[in-house]
Amino acid sequence: MNKFTKVFRTTGIACALLISQSPHVMAQVSQDDFKKLADQVALLSQQVQTLQQKDAQDQQTISKLKQQVGATKEIAVDAQQKATTAEEKLATPVDLSEQLASAATHNFVLSGDAEVTFGRTAGFKSGGFQMADFAPIFLYRANENILFEAGFDFQLQNGSTQLLNGTTVNNANTTGVNLSFATIDYIVNNYVTLCAGEMLLPLGTYSERSAGWINQIPDQPLPVSMLPQAGIGAQLRGAIPVGKAGNEFTYAGYLANGVSSVDGTGNSHYVDSTGAVLPNLDLGGNTGYSFSGNNNQNLNGSMSGGGRIAYFNSFKPHYDFEVGLSGQTGPYTSTHHYYSAAVVDASIHLSPYFTLKGEYINTWVQTTDIGTYQAGGFWLQGTYKLASLNSDFSLLNNLELVARYDTVNDGLGTKTQRFTGGYIYHFSNTLMLENDYEALTNQGPNPLPNSAYIFQLSYGF
Amino acid sequence: MQHHKQLKYRGALVASLALAAMLASFIFPGSAQAGDGKTATEPTVVQGITGAELYAVNCNRCHEERFPKEFTAVQWTSLMLHMRVRANLTAAESKKILKYLQSQSGN
Repeated sequence: MNKFTKVFRTTGIACALLISQSPHVMAQVSQDDFKKLADQVALLSQQVQTLQQKDAQDQQTISKLKQQVGATKEIAVDAQQKATTAEEKLATPVDLSEQLASAATHNFVLSGDAEVTFGRTAGFKSGGFQMADFAPIFLYRANENILFEAGFDFQLQNGSTQLLNGTTVNNANTTGVNLSFATIDYIVNNYVTLCAGEMLLPLGTYSERSAGWINQIPDQPLPVSMLPQAGIGAQLRGAIPVGKAGNEFTYAGYLANGVSSVDGTGNSHYVDSTGAVLPNLDLGGNTGYSFSGNNNQNLNGSMSGGGRIAYFNSFKPHYDFEVGLSGQTGPYTSTHHYYSAAVVDASIHLSPYFTLKGEYINTWVQTTDIGTYQAGGFWLQGTYKLASLNSDFSLLNNLELVARYDTVNDGLGTKTQRFTGGYIYHFSNTLMLENDYEALTNQGPNPLPNSAYIFQLSYGF
Repeated sequence: MQHHKQLKYRGALVASLALAAMLASFIFPGSAQAGDGKTATEPTVVQGITGAELYAVNCNRCHEERFPKEFTAVQWTSLMLHMRVRANLTAAESKKILKYLQSQSGN
């Protein structure tokens, strides 16, 4: 029972009492009593009015509270719907490629390799660490179709130079920084890519697969030294699928500044400041034209052109073969003496354990004094992983046997043959220790270093 | 005279390669890419072989396999673009290998 009801009840009882009194009784009520009673009635009337106002306010408050409760319910329902949607999204498999397509396109990645080499050459009293190499590759992807890539070679090694007469000079250590390659790659379409800059030249496969942790023997095959490894220019390359999945035809064609000569005479040799007689051909090439007295000195007359075509056939994973044919031709002097090269390369994988690969290389060099001479040779390399034995002796499973035969004829009277045998111990998929013995024989005036033991720790990152 | 002959041979070689590249574009017109850098039509789909198998086929040609978790999904995008150019992978192959590597990639 609320206050309002009580007041009405009291007022009603009072009125009933007044009405129920007889006239003579009423006549007996004094003036003071009547006034008191009137005052009470007035007071009660005010209280009733106040309570009515308060009741009206309470009704408004209740109405507002009801509205707020309604809004809260709507928020709760909305939150529940959102939570349900989020759960559905979480339950849906994530397609990373779609996310990446809409993600920031610019991306920078550092890759590369590092090596340290210890060697002992026959005839020397002791061995030593011969070379420490850090070869980072910077990849900067501008978008889905554009990539800038640059490879450096920071190398610390013995600065000694062996002259043709066999003497060795300049024994200081040197730190060399070499820009191995730096190209802008543009994916024109699914079958054509344009590369421009300092390019690794696709003459055979070695130049593009020579990183320490990829090349399974610490040094390069001998006849590879008859080829330019890089050049400034532009290249179109790509692959076209042929037949069943995994088989493809690949191609590369390029124009580059090409090889150069030391003195620009077109002679086969030149004499340096120490009196040493050295080959005139400079496979390092040039980076452009520089004129002195209207003579472009030791630089070549025009660019060289070259390319490679190859076919790759995969029977199944780890069972495949690749054959390629490549070449380059162009002048190496301003008087148009030509340097040309041809390479046949092949490789075969028979199981995850056995690989055989090699190249046949021949070059033609036009000279003023001895006509055209040919330099070249071939190399053949096989590897076999003892993991195939599945031995209980885990160290054995990490071993890979390596053998290589390579030979080179420099075309200037020196022939060299070398047999290399050794092993690779795989600490991981990219960290390995290579240990080889190289048995080397020379004939001619420009002998290469003697037989040697070589250890190399290689890491790819 | 010999010089001019050699220049002709060299020119013919370069022209042939450029022609081959152009022909490839015409023979497979559906693969041309839109100006916004996105592929207008998907290249020929590599069927009957998984991304993991393609990875094993192509990467082992030159080096030991890298574990997918060695790099993040975004890093693999750049690395596969690099390898597509360096190893002359077809567009379809590189996309399928990339999808596999990203699905197994590290954080």
